[in-house]
Amino acid sequence: MSGFFHYFLSVLDPMSNLGFSRALGELMSSELPRWWLFIVVPAAIMVLPSLVCWLVYLVKPALIRPPLPARKDQAEPLVSVVIAGRNESATIGECIRGALRCGYSNVEVIFVDDYSDDNSVAIARRAALSVTGSRWDADRVRIFPSPRRNGKASSLNIGIRMARGEFIVIHDADSVIQYGAMQHWLLPFADPRVGGVAANIRVHNSTVNLLTRLQEIEYALKFTAMRFIMARLDILSIISGMGGMFRAEILHRLGGFDTGLGDDTDLTTMVRKQRWKIAFSIDAVAWTTVPETRRHLWLQRERWRRNWIKIRLSKHRDQFVLGRYGFANAVVAVLLFFRVLLPVTGIVGLFWAAFENGPLSVPEIVVTFYWIMLIYLLIRLLIARDIASTPKPRNFWLIFIYPFYLFFLVDLAQVYAELTELFRIGVKHPYVPDHVWEEIPWW
Amino acid sequence: MTKLETLAAKSHAAGVVDSTGMAAEERRLNLLRQIALAGGKISPEASPNTQHGYAYAPLGEGVGRDLEILTRLGYLEARFFDRVSLCPKCDSHHLNVREVCPGCRRAHLASDGLLHHFRCGYVGIPSEFSPSADGSYLCPKCKCKMHHLGVEFDRLGKAFVCRGCGLISENPPVEAVCLACGACTPADNLVSTIVFSYVLTSRGAAAVRSGSLFDGEEELICIADAPVYRRNVILEFLDHEMKRLQHFNSAFSVLLADCPTSTIDQSGDGSSAQWLTRLRRCLRDVDLLGQLADSRYLVILPQTKRREADALRRGIVAELGPQSPISLSIAEITKPQHLSEILAPFKTRGDPS
Repeated sequence: MSGFFHYFLSVLDPMSNLGFSRALGELMSSELPRWWLFIVVPAAIMVLPSLVCWLVYLVKPALIRPPLPARKDQAEPLVSVVIAGRNESATIGECIRGALRCGYSNVEVIFVDDYSDDNSVAIARRAALSVTGSRWDADRVRIFPSPRRNGKASSLNIGIRMARGEFIVIHDADSVIQYGAMQHWLLPFADPRVGGVAANIRVHNSTVNLLTRLQEIEYALKFTAMRFIMARLDILSIISGMGGMFRAEILHRLGGFDTGLGDDTDLTTMVRKQRWKIAFSIDAVAWTTVPETRRHLWLQRERWRRNWIKIRLSKHRDQFVLGRYGFANAVVAVLLFFRVLLPVTGIVGLFWAAFENGPLSVPEIVVTFYWIMLIYLLIRLLIARDIASTPKPRNFWLIFIYPFYLFFLVDLAQVYAELTELFRIGVKHPYVPDHVWEEIPWW
Repeated sequence: MTKLETLAAKSHAAGVVDSTGMAAEERRLNLLRQIALAGGKISPEASPNTQHGYAYAPLGEGVGRDLEILTRLGYLEARFFDRVSLCPKCDSHHLNVREVCPGCRRAHLASDGLLHHFRCGYVGIPSEFSPSADGSYLCPKCKCKMHHLGVEFDRLGKAFVCRGCGLISENPPVEAVCLACGACTPADNLVSTIVFSYVLTSRGAAAVRSGSLFDGEEELICIADAPVYRRNVILEFLDHEMKRLQHFNSAFSVLLADCPTSTIDQSGDGSSAQWLTRLRRCLRDVDLLGQLADSRYLVILPQTKRREADALRRGIVAELGPQSPISLSIAEITKPQHLSEILAPFKTRGDPS
């Protein structure tokens, strides 16, 4: 074990030599059969889709980032931005102002306050007044203070019920819509089969500390590049609650969110089950505030994972009946298994290597794999930067520690969530009030 | 038109003589008598047919202006009675005030509490939940029965639902429609006026007893609406200062203030009374402010030398600001003839008050 880490640190030392060439040479000379799979498989999964997108972008950029029509053929449809939040006084003002000043005139904002203890409602009213200038303009901003805590799902449903727009944006109170995003957000709806469009989520507070910088890289790779590719392959199965636009008719027909988690995965799965396509727009940018401490990040990722398991593997388990909801949804169901298995495999593999009981027991192989990952990450980051202008170039150096961030924080939190959910430990969602939780039939 | 008719027309226009031929003073005195007969106090009564919705029934119609003047002259004391909202377009009180839909601006609203079903999270207006035979509601989303309020479902406060466009709003705007002219006005933009009840003052009671309104030596020492002495009063003070100058050789200064009403009308920035009140506040307690002519005022600065008076003038100018219509000039009075020179232009004018 000590030899493993000694070797690992030696090849990380930038003063020693070029670690990759040394490690790759040792991998090639090892007795491991089909060692080239360590290079080809990650490349096929990680790099190839990004590379294809980039090549298409070079040849025909409009296919990746469709431009806005030069002339408006028809009137702008009304878009309702629905925001639900509890104790969001720190961010709700900027959120409402951002929605009203996003460069799209035909927009209404509905903020549902879930019985906050702070002065969220007063701040929201002040923010609305600062933009509209008059209470007579109240149709542009409506604020509904709930007389009782109902949870996020029900609060969003109040907003959806109050919305008049042809399209509804589900928006987190700690996110801000970028100026000009709304027009790009609406573009994919030109296809009548598209039921929802995911926004390109970017990190608002990326300069705060190392953790937020790492999250910026993660968001660029997972939320921007990967979701774009998945949307193009029609297997995008989530529209983030930080910014997602839906056709209002779908949400009204579904009756909004189901009680409990108020989860974006749940709603997206319900929309997909109705055979609507889910699109992604790179230029529909929404800026979100990410956790700034390890504890908050751990809790967030744990919550996300537990919701994900509750919804995907429990509530919507019928989607695993392949063919019931079409080919694309069957592919999504198959991919779910990989998403569960990959972090588990990674951790099991680490322990296997650490205790020198298997093919990964040779430290050179692990180190080579690390270097391969770095190169692939760099390629993906360069492509993401070129296409979507994210992440910031000054954060590129963080790819050296990014795999550790992913493995020791994100993946571990996910595995922890999977295990606790499997053994039904602390099942109750902290954001759902008791009187609602007791009535939920799903779990 | 004969000379007599021309004179009568001018008198009507000036408000000196009313349509019955009664002189204004006599008319106002009659009002005081009627108020005295009514117990010394007259309160307005609801009168839907009048413009502001209130009338002073025992006094007859169109007495508002006279009551205001009598109050200003100190014969009556106005006390708050009510506030009336009026149409900003036609000044009528016939307003229909109601909440309107913020979307379609129609008043076809119903006040419904939204219902929230805990089990499925559905939120809707009560009419969407069809009632069952056993008295429960049926959720339109999950088709489950909702029996117990607070356990299975809840009411989410009060909301207004527009029957026209379906929009739900928690706090709809309030609008007033004028039933006289049809103008729609947001409630915030309505004109508001105060209706007073009037109480006879001791001065009013004395006027009733004496059978005439006071003037001459018994008139008020200040002009209406502003803390400014009338011409004869300020001249009296000036005369007193002159005697002090002659006996004790105590020099003093005067400030001449021009406050042309035409300038105020053009700028629309307050009234001359407001500017004079501000001027009075800038002065010291011992200073005296009075009116010399229509737009010229005099400030007596006792025992003040030119240098001190100039400093005071600069302070006043700074305090009043650049938009002030008042222009000030200084003169130090060390000899009686100084004052004669200053007052010469006003000797020929009549008393403006």
